[in-house]
Amino acid sequence: MEIRIFFTILLSTILINNYVLSRNLGICPFLGVSKRLDSALGMGLAVIFVMTLTSFITHPLYKYVLVEYNITYLITIVFILVIAALVQLVEMVIRKISPVLYQALGIFLPLITANCAVLGVALLNISSGFPDPNVDLGLLKSVVQGFGSGVGFTLALLIMAGIRERLELADVPENLKGVPITFLTAGLLALAFYGFSGMRI
Amino acid sequence: MSYWKEFIKGVWEHNPQLVVGLGFCPTLAITTSLSNALWMTLSTAFVLVCSNVLISLIRGIAHSHLRIPLYITIIATFVTIVDLSLNAYQPAVYRSLGIFIPLIVVNCITLGRAEEFAQKNSVIRSLLDGAGMGLGFGLTLIVLSFFREVLGANQLFGYTLIRGMEPAAVMILAPGAFFTLGLMLWAMNTINSRRRSK
Amino acid sequence: MIRDIVKPTLTLAAVAFICTLLLSYVQKFTEPAIKRQKGENQDEALKLVLPGFSVGDAQKISMAGVEFLFWIGKKKVDYKTVKGYAFITAGAGYGGNIESMVGVDESGKILGVSILNQSETPGLGARCVEVANRETLWDYIKNGMPARDYNKERRIPWFQNQFEGIDANAEVRITRRGVWNPEMRPQLLETNAISALTGATITTAAVVQSIRLGMTTLKKALSMRLPDTDGGAQ
Repeated sequence: MEIRIFFTILLSTILINNYVLSRNLGICPFLGVSKRLDSALGMGLAVIFVMTLTSFITHPLYKYVLVEYNITYLITIVFILVIAALVQLVEMVIRKISPVLYQALGIFLPLITANCAVLGVALLNISSGFPDPNVDLGLLKSVVQGFGSGVGFTLALLIMAGIRERLELADVPENLKGVPITFLTAGLLALAFYGFSGMRI
Repeated sequence: MSYWKEFIKGVWEHNPQLVVGLGFCPTLAITTSLSNALWMTLSTAFVLVCSNVLISLIRGIAHSHLRIPLYITIIATFVTIVDLSLNAYQPAVYRSLGIFIPLIVVNCITLGRAEEFAQKNSVIRSLLDGAGMGLGFGLTLIVLSFFREVLGANQLFGYTLIRGMEPAAVMILAPGAFFTLGLMLWAMNTINSRRRSK
Repeated sequence: MIRDIVKPTLTLAAVAFICTLLLSYVQKFTEPAIKRQKGENQDEALKLVLPGFSVGDAQKISMAGVEFLFWIGKKKVDYKTVKGYAFITAGAGYGGNIESMVGVDESGKILGVSILNQSETPGLGARCVEVANRETLWDYIKNGMPARDYNKERRIPWFQNQFEGIDANAEVRITRRGVWNPEMRPQLLETNAISALTGATITTAAVVQSIRLGMTTLKKALSMRLPDTDGGAQ
């Protein structure tokens, strides 16, 4: 039963409610880092990592600190500072422990603080009991949701990067080059992803 | 630069979304109706003006390596004020904007203006810059949401336009947002390049 | 070294302290309005789903870690007291949870449904709270805006209206017949069906599913309670 629910969450966050293509979150890195496939992969992995970790930390923080002391109105300020601190910490730890990993992910980490998808996942984790409001799954669900959202983001980023690498060879009108054609492509992608919304799970 | 120019540059020359390329997330997500766009404009402009003024005021005491968390704290405070007031006095708006109110914190425009402008300029200039940027941001939202609401819902401010017509629902969904913004950027580029060649 | 670490830290702490102080003041100021507004919403919904009933206080029961809120109402019909129940239930829609209040009579027939919270796509799923509008914007411009007094006369959205008279104990069928109108009622009631929102099957299914779930929980909740707390004998 529980495994089925986790599967539903993963499917829902990766395909049906894709953060970039259906919720319109995290557009800035989606435009900025989707020029080449390898940098897209690096950014995607960094986002998966930070999103999972953020979900793991913000959920108990909300439940046992903010709700407990009746200060839920401080949620925005607390979450964004936690994310900022977390990203800094992860950057420092990775630099000390694994220089190889740091070379791959390092330059993307500072960009993640201002990625609205990360704060979005932290807020959505607590605001909605998606996908089934009648079962309280708690921390584990948050983490799975965070992980799935990261994977969904990465998937969209990789597809986009693949398309843009080919698009460089295409003959695009001068004024349509760059961001405008990327948005039009993203629109077609979003349309394709919209097909998943009819899926019954 | 004159004060008027400082204000007006955000509307066209340095329009946040169309020229600088910042703040796309709310632009795409909440432009499903004109009233959403108007409230989002008000909220963002309020946060932008307040944070710009305050950051400009404390630009002497902000230390270099801890300034980003400091700015984030200040911006998040104003965002929470907007969040609480909308929840209390405009509950319908609060519900329909949803998580995009707290997400003003990570709207690149607010932090971007703090970094790029407010910490280097006087209070009055920062205020005008914030107001101008907020207006420019809002104009893009309003144009975008006008097209999306009319085409995608056959409505304007929630009132039906043509009786019995089935609207093109794709315009109200995420793909429609990408298409409309892409076309808008294309139009902007065309206008600008025509101007330059003259 | 100390100046580099201590001073910025102190500045940050001071700013954070001032900000929190300011926010706690704003929160104190807005809290009553937020609370009142929530209570008003619930009272209004109760009037809508249990029309004419005198409703008691809200009753809370915890079911599998999730809170379940329900009300018991009474009404005199032909010198007999009939009971009605209202409960709050939620289902997963497309954009998040859809929370609605449902009123049923003793046999399980739905008296009214009122959607309290939803974040569905505008123009599609969000039409579940849309009031069927016969006038267009041009009519309003020509004839002037009608006085909009929501407190006096609240028009019920058509999607919620069609649930009236449906048997919540049996399976509620979903048909695709476009925007509901009163002429469709007898036909739909015969098959215990409702007309889905165009292009928003998930939203429709979520509301139907949440009503079924709420009914099951309500029955459990009522059987769990001792007979003498049931509000008197018949």
